[in-house]
Amino acid sequence: MLFLFVPQSFAQSASKADDVKKFVEEIGNKIVIIASDKKLTDAKKREKIIMVIDGVIDADWIARFVLGKNYKTATDRQRELFTKLYRDFMINTYGPKFKNYNGRKFTVNDVAEQGGFYVAKAEFLPYDSKIPISTDFRAKERNGKLVILDFIAEGISLIETQRSEFNSAISQKGMDKFLDDLTGRVANLKNMS
Amino acid sequence: MLLRSFFILLLFSFSAQDYAFAQDDEFETYETSGEQEIYDPYEGLNRKVYAFNDTFDRYFFEHVARTYRTGVPEDARDAIHNFLNNLSLPVSALNSMAQGRVHNTLATLSNFLINSTIGLVGIFDVAGQKGIFYRPQDFGQTLGYYGAGNGAYLMIPFLGPSTARDFGGFLVDKAVSPVGLNLVEVGGKIKIVPTEYLIGTAALSGVDTRESLLDVIDDIRRDSFDPYATIRSAYLQKRANSIKN
Repeated sequence: MLFLFVPQSFAQSASKADDVKKFVEEIGNKIVIIASDKKLTDAKKREKIIMVIDGVIDADWIARFVLGKNYKTATDRQRELFTKLYRDFMINTYGPKFKNYNGRKFTVNDVAEQGGFYVAKAEFLPYDSKIPISTDFRAKERNGKLVILDFIAEGISLIETQRSEFNSAISQKGMDKFLDDLTGRVANLKNMS
Repeated sequence: MLLRSFFILLLFSFSAQDYAFAQDDEFETYETSGEQEIYDPYEGLNRKVYAFNDTFDRYFFEHVARTYRTGVPEDARDAIHNFLNNLSLPVSALNSMAQGRVHNTLATLSNFLINSTIGLVGIFDVAGQKGIFYRPQDFGQTLGYYGAGNGAYLMIPFLGPSTARDFGGFLVDKAVSPVGLNLVEVGGKIKIVPTEYLIGTAALSGVDTRESLLDVIDDIRRDSFDPYATIRSAYLQKRANSIKN
């Protein structure tokens, strides 16, 4: 009986890997096309790219991860405030950088299952280089839908780096002061945009 | 820079639904190379060195790098970068060989031979244009390849982030390289390379590296709540990845 299940399980896994590959390729290629479109203004590029990726990120998961060990000691109010501020912080901090995010090619070379996640190994080829930049996308299926949880550029995980930064800042300042600073930063960023 | 920005942009299209968090066990299965492996027993001292480096950079080195970027044409900067990079290839090939990476060793040596000759002492990256790519290797990576851990995280005056393993490896690489510390000359017996040349290439290499990091460091200074922690995490992850791959 065991042998009957093995091929089916293998086929399901391969099929899911194909789904992840297609999912990540679609996201990457859409962004490259928009970012490379010379007819679009920077503001329009930003708007369109946000529309493309809105919904593919599991924001709650990322916010929880970035909060790290402080999640357990934070109050419900602090958790909710952090999640809301974090989203605004990310949008307003990195939004203006969109205009530079163009390139020639985006390719997903492999998808591997790792610790309950799918890791899509991709390459991004900038216009000004012949050397592709390696990229890992970490994805997971949630409620029957694939979501992106992390982006790892040349071995550097974006959310891991941010978790380390936030944890360090919180341990030095305390959660309330950190949230005050985050609130102030977000307000300043909104005023600048 | 392009890639980093590309990732970052993907992160901020959050749909503000409810604020329910996922279950804890999902986070415990997330394997990363960062937070749990940070060993920074000299953090107090390291932060002081970081503050010193940061001040030195803001008041001097950053300006040199910006002047270099604006005052030297991009093609000339590329040529200088290629030349400096070519000088590092023999040591890189030795480390690659020490790790038993045959293909990478041959690719590194091919780059050195082709660029040193056809590429006019490394000014032109002819090998790269022909698609002969390699992964640079240093002695810190070699030690890591054979199982040596990071050791303590260190912030080195003027040089920046490192670890006990990597800084030791850095010194070994420089001692071995004919354009590094040149221990033979220090010994006072044989003078392979003039001292002025050594100082010149070291200074130029520093400016070249700092220029390449202008945008990255600008971003960190502007966006990070704790630049020291951001740089530490990124450095440790980057090194772990370079050893793994």
